[in-house]
Amino acid sequence: MDERVKTGMGGAVAALDLDAELMLRVKEGDGASFGVLLNKHRASVVHFLYRMVQNHAVAEELAQEVFLRVYRSRGTYEPTAKFTTWLFRIATHLALNSLRDGRNEKSQERLDDDSGDLPARQVSDNRPTIEARMVYQVRLEEVRKAIATLPEKQRAAVLMHKYEEMEYSQIARVLNCSESAIKSLLFRAYETLRARLAHMA
Amino acid sequence: MKCPLEIREGTEILLAYSSGDLDGERSARLAPHVENCPACREFVTGQRAVWEALDEWEALPVSVDFDRRLYRRIAEQVSWWETVARPLRSALVRRGLPIAAAAALTITAGLLLDRPSAVPVAARHESAQVELQPDQVERALDQMETLRQFTHLLHTDSPDSQM
Repeated sequence: MDERVKTGMGGAVAALDLDAELMLRVKEGDGASFGVLLNKHRASVVHFLYRMVQNHAVAEELAQEVFLRVYRSRGTYEPTAKFTTWLFRIATHLALNSLRDGRNEKSQERLDDDSGDLPARQVSDNRPTIEARMVYQVRLEEVRKAIATLPEKQRAAVLMHKYEEMEYSQIARVLNCSESAIKSLLFRAYETLRARLAHMA
Repeated sequence: MKCPLEIREGTEILLAYSSGDLDGERSARLAPHVENCPACREFVTGQRAVWEALDEWEALPVSVDFDRRLYRRIAEQVSWWETVARPLRSALVRRGLPIAAAAALTITAGLLLDRPSAVPVAARHESAQVELQPDQVERALDQMETLRQFTHLLHTDSPDSQM
């Protein structure tokens, strides 16, 4: 699908990318549209950042910065690509900077604290046994470590491909690479993950 | 059927097959090959294990006060900037060129007028000390002595002095 959207073509924008049209409304001063965009993408941005930096507090802080930048940029926004491409480009940029700055080094030491907070469904209706919880913890830790050992760009590509279900072309735009480069990046990443996680079947 | 691992797009096809994203017809054609090809079977089994493992990794729910914190930051940072920038922006739009020209002239004039004072005081003091050489002082004293003798001669030769 052609992502490029022409400015000023309201109908075309809506047909191709509803988010881009909402952002154009934000540009015109409609704060409610920003709220709609926030509601729609808040969780996916926080979760993506969480899996990138593997710390919940840092991920939320970075996500706040992502949406703050989106709001600040409303005046100059031009829908030249899908809104989510732009959104995840900001998120990826911030995550990579955070990882390179080592801002979350201290937080990495608290990984165990985070992993103790299982999602709500794990402890509500069908209360898992202590053994089941322990098995889950061990498996989760393996997954987290496997993802954490991937080079940063491979990690971002896998997370966008697996959890955000993005096409190769969109991931390529987010990471500013060619589509063929992204395919080879992803295949190498999955090869590493298969070597580390295949035994979990 | 040619083994997908022997063609260029093979990995892409097997990834799509493993995740169930391959269309029904292509998937049905590929299934018997995967059953009988050890390499493809290993790839698909391993990749399905990866998908399942990744599915288990659920992210934590977003904090309930996420939006409140964000809107507070927007109010603090964005509103502050807009309060400062808006009057400037509108003034620039209405009177942009004259203001810019006046500002440029003021800055240039300021730089030109300010140039002499830019020389460090210590440097000027040092240059004054360097000019007072011993031979210059000696020459000045000689000239003063000559002048004193000339003045004395003038007094002795005058009619008043002869009286």
